[in-house]
Amino acid sequence: MKEKKSLNLLAPFESFVDKFKVPLSILVGAFLIAVPFLGASRVAMRNLVMIFLYAMLGMGLNVLLGYVGQVSLGHAGFYAIGAYTSAILTTTYGWSFWTGAIAGACVAALIGFLLGLPTLRLSGTYLTIVTLGFGEIVLMVLRQWESVTNGNYGIRSIPVPELFGWELTLSNGGFYWLILFLSTVTAIACYTIKNSNAGRTLIAIKEDELAATMMGIKTTRYKILAFVVSAFITGLAGAYYSVINNGYIEPNNFVFNYSIQILSVVIVGGMGTIRGMYFGSALLMMFPQVFRFLNQWRFVIYGLLLVLMMQFRPQGALGWQSTLPYKLPRRAKKALAEREKAKTVQ
Amino acid sequence: MKKVLAVLLALAMVFVLVACGGGETPAGGETESGAEGGVIKIAVAGPMTGDNAEYGIGFANAAKLVAEQVNAEGGVKVGDATYTVEIVEFDDKNESDEALTIAEQIVSTPDIYGVIGHFSSGVCMAAAPTYQDAQYINISPTSSHADYSSIGDYIFRNNTVITVETRTGAEIAINDLKGTSIGVLSIDTEWGQSAGNAMEENVKDLGGNLAIRQEVAATQTDFATEIANFRAQNVDVILVAGMYETLAPFALACDSSDYDVKLVGCSNAYTTSLIDIAGEAAEGIYAPVAFFAGNPDPDVQAYVKAYTDKYGAAPSALTTQAYDSTYILIEAIERAGSLDREAIKDAMFETNFDGMSGPTTFDEIGDAMKVFTKIMVKDGEFVVAEF
Amino acid sequence: METFIGAVINGLALGMAYALIAVGYSMVFGVLRLINFAHGSIYAFGAYMVYFFISIQVGLFWSIMIAIVLSGILAMLVDKLALEPLRKKQSIPIASLITTVGVSFIIQNGLALEQVFTSEKKGFPSLNLFPNIMIGNLTIQSSQIIMFAVALVLLAVLSYIVNKTKIGLSMRATEQNARAASLMGVNTNFVISFTFFLGGCSAAIAGTLISGYYQIISPTMGATIGLKAFAAAVVGGIGVLYGSVVGGLVVGVVECIAAQYLGSNVRDPMAFVILILILIIKPNGLFGKKGVSKV
Repeated sequence: MKEKKSLNLLAPFESFVDKFKVPLSILVGAFLIAVPFLGASRVAMRNLVMIFLYAMLGMGLNVLLGYVGQVSLGHAGFYAIGAYTSAILTTTYGWSFWTGAIAGACVAALIGFLLGLPTLRLSGTYLTIVTLGFGEIVLMVLRQWESVTNGNYGIRSIPVPELFGWELTLSNGGFYWLILFLSTVTAIACYTIKNSNAGRTLIAIKEDELAATMMGIKTTRYKILAFVVSAFITGLAGAYYSVINNGYIEPNNFVFNYSIQILSVVIVGGMGTIRGMYFGSALLMMFPQVFRFLNQWRFVIYGLLLVLMMQFRPQGALGWQSTLPYKLPRRAKKALAEREKAKTVQ
Repeated sequence: MKKVLAVLLALAMVFVLVACGGGETPAGGETESGAEGGVIKIAVAGPMTGDNAEYGIGFANAAKLVAEQVNAEGGVKVGDATYTVEIVEFDDKNESDEALTIAEQIVSTPDIYGVIGHFSSGVCMAAAPTYQDAQYINISPTSSHADYSSIGDYIFRNNTVITVETRTGAEIAINDLKGTSIGVLSIDTEWGQSAGNAMEENVKDLGGNLAIRQEVAATQTDFATEIANFRAQNVDVILVAGMYETLAPFALACDSSDYDVKLVGCSNAYTTSLIDIAGEAAEGIYAPVAFFAGNPDPDVQAYVKAYTDKYGAAPSALTTQAYDSTYILIEAIERAGSLDREAIKDAMFETNFDGMSGPTTFDEIGDAMKVFTKIMVKDGEFVVAEF
Repeated sequence: METFIGAVINGLALGMAYALIAVGYSMVFGVLRLINFAHGSIYAFGAYMVYFFISIQVGLFWSIMIAIVLSGILAMLVDKLALEPLRKKQSIPIASLITTVGVSFIIQNGLALEQVFTSEKKGFPSLNLFPNIMIGNLTIQSSQIIMFAVALVLLAVLSYIVNKTKIGLSMRATEQNARAASLMGVNTNFVISFTFFLGGCSAAIAGTLISGYYQIISPTMGATIGLKAFAAAVVGGIGVLYGSVVGGLVVGVVECIAAQYLGSNVRDPMAFVILILILIIKPNGLFGKKGVSKV
């Protein structure tokens, strides 16, 4: 009884959103773009920047976790690779941020490919373990390869991005618009992937890998694809991170805890959803700020919340099943229409 | 119903969270011209949770003690007005992400006039440009990164300069202990590496026989390999660039593997925890320190007593550096005679402060110059070293 | 050559203790297919309990005993309170994984609270109970010998429990097929609780042994060592008891050799380098049974 009622309320909400999606997104978009002009303080801007950054990181992991169901505990490694590649290219070789960022993302994707090649034929849990080890090894390399990464001294004076001579900073809103742009592009890309042929294949693998194999899907190939896309997004986010950290990065910014934090964003927000990434990120980024008064109890409570969340809402805060009718892909629609036509002709 | 409730709750929470996050900036309504009974806020930022919480909590304790003392004596006199000092604590978890957010929060608070803190060098490096940019004075009691003070003229540090400190350490090893084969053990943090390099240079410079350098992870507790290597080189004095959490287990490991060697630490290993943990094995550890609780100077004794009464343990070297930093800032504000940030900054450079960690002046980039005392552990206590 | 032998000896002693932690991961993974991230924090909890009971003047032996039982109970409670409800609801596997991460946050940060043990590192009584053995320039500490011997005996006991007792049979049955086992009259929930209890006990013993060797403890001491022990469990073949022993020894020895010749900073990541290499060459670990990877 209760369940039914809830569906009744969710459905109109979703169909409302669906019906007015163009004006709604214009409205929300305009508001988001206008935020820096609305007199938001520097703290608020910083918080928003971190929220969007982690939403983007969440989306990156989501491609792997939410779509293919593979758990990674080493995304801080890709994050680091993106950040360091971009930072080294911009400081030592004088590249611009834009090319450096793309290069960072590509290197992360390449490493993802090389790592995924041998390991993705392993089953889920083993992949988790390998990624965990991968994160630790990346850290080791960052600390040891001093001639390139500058070891524990970190890389400093990473230049801020410039757009036609305009320097992007936190106070002029540049950082905010940049991450807004990056996360929006990522969201659109993720949405496109999810609703593409490849995306449906990925979800098929997640739901039942054996069945997917039986259907003739080359599961390893698709898993690697997802892994590479995930690494690319994370690397891009890393490149962005390297400039917002006051131009200074060091290996400690990419330790295991960050992998867990990225994972938490996806889990808390709702695996497989894009809205959930924004929400999960907002929740987790604001948690330490808002609960500052708890002092040392903060992380005890944080742990408790994770446990309770898993007990009572394991699908994540916004992880509901869509109530909208399933939209057939264009190709399928076309095929159906043709068949209909053929029938009527007969 | 459940689902809709969840959604509504979720949206409400996001709204509240973002609102709170933004709302934490102080309301602009508060006027600054409180000529009588105004408040000067000083921020203390450091790890209050996590692995290094003891240091951040130590900073905060020290600063609160200063505030208490200053307020008891009638507060800070700036020009004609008198202000009371208030300490605001911020927990950065020793993470730069968190530290940057805190830095933004601090620079959005107009009545904060200075920041004592950030603990590890990396975190300091990340946060400092924000303070510089907003013209907030930042004194780090611990940052050791070579480039730290040169980030800008608002960035100071009141810690020991590694080259001077390790010079004294090397003197202990070579001149006082007459070490014939000297080893260096350093932790693989930015500070440990710099200190280890400085030790090597100083040992060579003083004509000592540098046998071997070993580097360990900062959290490492297994030293079997290092001890075997030191032993193979017949090392008889080891200079240790590590905090007490490295020095104490290392001393224990030497002791329990029957390796008879003399250890010389750094000033930041000077804390009672060293003796608490290492016990017998701590006997005969030497260190150069800028602050020494056994200093007979009445001011130092008064400070040690006040601190011990309030917090139940004697202050460590780093805590004292935070204590002095707070006084230096307050004194600079008084000398500046106004709450103009630039005037305070200029006054900072004229600091000639006779603090608990010795007389402190700042050079042109904002590094503190200090004098060192040689101490050792004897009968479970720190005493002035005898050779 | 002498340094090499020295490294191997250090590695063997350390590896045996790793094996003891690894067994806990392995057993839980065996019955639940779950990486129990709370295991490392239970290891730390065990060491802190020993420290606590010694500090209130309970003798060394009884302190250790009480700590072992308490850690076992804590591990069991984690399962009963947090994981069992998830199994009942048939939640997605990752919910359990995140739950164990949450639990480890609670335990680790709980230990570090000012009102509890603070984040300050504490001294731990030495386990050097008899004089060291010196061979030329080589020193074998008595605590290393104790660590090796105790761990070996305990692993033998564990292996006896798993292979020869009735509850061990139930454990193996649950591991192979929980549903079939419960149809055969095995109380699987009890078996799982018992597995957690054993894992908690062995973690506490390992915590005591290793802390007695290093003589220092901190609330986060279980984080890295937990991950390393887990790597050891996988290297040996997860779900196989003697696999954990071999895995632990391999990780311990390689780690010490690497520290000797490549520097101490590569010590911790070494476990993962071995892990990845082994998984690429032999996806089920050295002694892993085929089909274990099927989830």
